[in-house]
Amino acid sequence: MSGPARSVQYSGQVATDPFETEALSFLDALYRTALRMTRSEADAEDLVQETYIRAFRFKEQFTPGTNLKAWLFRILTNTFINSYRRKQAQPEFTELEGVDEFSLYRRMSDLKAASASPDPETEFLNGIVDTEVKDALTELPEKFRDVVLLDVEGFSYKEIAEMLGIPIGTVMSRLHRGRKFLQKRLLDLAQERGIAAVRATPQKG
Amino acid sequence: MDCNDCVERLFAFLDTELTPTEIKQVRSHLEGCDDCDDEFVFEARFLEQLKECCTSDVAPVELRQRVILRLRGEAPPAS
Repeated sequence: MSGPARSVQYSGQVATDPFETEALSFLDALYRTALRMTRSEADAEDLVQETYIRAFRFKEQFTPGTNLKAWLFRILTNTFINSYRRKQAQPEFTELEGVDEFSLYRRMSDLKAASASPDPETEFLNGIVDTEVKDALTELPEKFRDVVLLDVEGFSYKEIAEMLGIPIGTVMSRLHRGRKFLQKRLLDLAQERGIAAVRATPQKG
Repeated sequence: MDCNDCVERLFAFLDTELTPTEIKQVRSHLEGCDDCDDEFVFEARFLEQLKECCTSDVAPVELRQRVILRLRGEAPPAS
């Protein structure tokens, strides 16, 4: 019974603690990253709550003036790796087949020559929708996905390396291959969707 | 710097992870090479689009409220 009353009471809350205010400003970013990492809304919500509880418990370990978003993401990533990844116990595919040779840019150039569209690149880029990106991310093996997810949140190679406990060179290669994989999948999806400019065989007449 | 060297540094350049010297080398190659320049522009647009698609989600309102309640010690841990 106290639920709704409290919700109303706190819906327009003014936080007095500046640490709390700043930490909560990253809630959306933490949640969407947790959602893609766990692939479950319930797990993502638990993971985010756990992240905030730990952050507040170890608040003194945060150096004011340093990057709070990176600090929170490090807690999120550690919690995920320690609790959720083990739970999911999914097979780890170590390699991405055929992504190294793939060049979306070159494919686009070939299409430009063959296509009736004057600008297949723009048609392709504008046609990319959120749901396709999310589907492609789901198909991306975890170790590549984690790096891509942290990259889109604006972290540097060094920050990502520290969060995941891997060398910077590994961040670079996983990010490179992860992006190539997404490009390949998104082109496949665009072709399935039948975007005129990227049709495998351009229609004549 | 030739085209291969340049394209090899494409993502690091777009991610602003190169040293000032390397940035200068890449820029100077791009100024004289339309093909590499086109490729860099395309990849930059792709990354922008990717970022936009990945960062549009917001957390459920109830989650925000639950987090605040727990942080202020006013709600028992979930489950």
